[in-house]
Amino acid sequence: MHGTLFVSGNSGLHRLHPLTKLALTFLFLVFAATLPNLLWLLAAFVILLVPMSAWGGLLRPFLRSCLVVITPFVISLSIIQGFFTPGETPLFHLAGFVLTGEGLLAGLTVASRILMALGGALLLMLSTRPDMLMLALTRSGLPGSLAYVVLTSIQIFPRFQERAQVILEAQQARGLEIKVNIFKRLRLLVPLMGPLVLSSIVDVEERAMALEARAFSRPGRKTSLLALADSPGQHLARWGLLLLMLALIGWSIWRAISS
Amino acid sequence: MKLSFEGVFFTYSTGVRALDGIDLSIGSGEFVAIVGENGAGKTTLVKLLNGLLRPDGGKVVVGNWDTAEYSTAQLAGRVGFLFQNPDEQLFERAVQREVAFGPRNLGFSERKIASKSMSALKTVGLADHAEDNPYDLAPFERKLLALAATLAMDTPVLVLDEPSIGQDAAGRRRIGRILRELHTMGSTILLISHDLDFCAEYAERAVVMANGHILADGLVEKIFAQNDLLQRAAVFPPQLVRLAQALKMPTAPLKVDQFVNAYSQWHRRKKRA
Repeated sequence: MHGTLFVSGNSGLHRLHPLTKLALTFLFLVFAATLPNLLWLLAAFVILLVPMSAWGGLLRPFLRSCLVVITPFVISLSIIQGFFTPGETPLFHLAGFVLTGEGLLAGLTVASRILMALGGALLLMLSTRPDMLMLALTRSGLPGSLAYVVLTSIQIFPRFQERAQVILEAQQARGLEIKVNIFKRLRLLVPLMGPLVLSSIVDVEERAMALEARAFSRPGRKTSLLALADSPGQHLARWGLLLLMLALIGWSIWRAISS
Repeated sequence: MKLSFEGVFFTYSTGVRALDGIDLSIGSGEFVAIVGENGAGKTTLVKLLNGLLRPDGGKVVVGNWDTAEYSTAQLAGRVGFLFQNPDEQLFERAVQREVAFGPRNLGFSERKIASKSMSALKTVGLADHAEDNPYDLAPFERKLLALAATLAMDTPVLVLDEPSIGQDAAGRRRIGRILRELHTMGSTILLISHDLDFCAEYAERAVVMANGHILADGLVEKIFAQNDLLQRAAVFPPQLVRLAQALKMPTAPLKVDQFVNAYSQWHRRKKRA
């Protein structure tokens, strides 16, 4: 689907019910918050998330997206935590500051927690069509209008980009020079953003009318063109995942109290 | 101003070959209709004229300028462009300022900007709305405003993409009259339209495109009378042509008065025979 992370495919991961995948995402989020140290976090990532992405045929986009997002965190967290966490093992001196082993470890641990949570979300987004996810959520009680808001905000960006390109062309055709220095750039904002914002506002009204013409706010249960495949096994698995999450949270609270 | 396309190729990044070796030259002051089905390459072709697209191969020349050496903003001083959807360019708070935007970009003097924009507004019939907000105008008026904004740039070449769409009879006639007037004043006009009745009424020459090629090129009277050609290009023949063919008339005049003359002559001859 254009403008989302979704990569189409027909793997087992793709075919899982969206709620099952959502439950997995939440489980990985709980992992990110509760696993005790760097080793556990990395192990969970390598043993669970990486094979799952491979199962979905998504190994490359998964690892690439992870790398792109996590690298700046690794660098900034290592520097900040590394230099500002007091510790016994100095590794490196710079202008009076000391990089400690403990600090570096703390920085990397936080980064790996982010990686864990990010990886879980990525698996969901890469393998699930957003409209399928929203359908699954509305079936289980999410208000339809809320689902619509989420879906349109996902889909609006590519539309925005396309329209911005057309506007750029139209204004250049009216003699607007866009390759100008940075100070003159500011003056380009009005002719370029103006039509974008104004036409989007006009759009909203038309969209609202089109939706109502198709009985958007009609009360009662709606049917959908999309078919969601579920199975008793998955239903059970979701409850299992929920229990596992609760257990992990309980375990980590117990650890915090007992230490 | 003369225009020429010499062995022009263009392929979109999606892999669609939109222009497949186009050779076309348009003389100064010609009024050319470019027709063809959706996706034939019409819009791609004209976008090369002001550098919104750059050819993958071949050369596009506007006057004495090779478009490869000029930016779109520079070419805008020679080629005025009316896009299909006016909402993609209107942004000013007042109609008059909107019309002045193009001329100002082209570096006209304040006096020239004021006179050109006012006369353009008068031409399209929006002079009374000069202080209104463009978004308070009706959609068909916004299209006329976009036309005025193009006219005010005073370019020797004018490209219009579906100008008659969404216009009522009066708007259509007005746009037609404006184009005819510009034509007599020597502007080179390129008209893209699916509305062959409109093309037949105002243009002199027709270029028929299909699949990135030029299928036919000639006087509108000749081209639009060829039913099989138009069918191949998947365009709908003008009403008068269909009528002439249904009557089995030997000729197919494109303008109502010409049709009436030809019909009465033909009818008289037939009665005598």
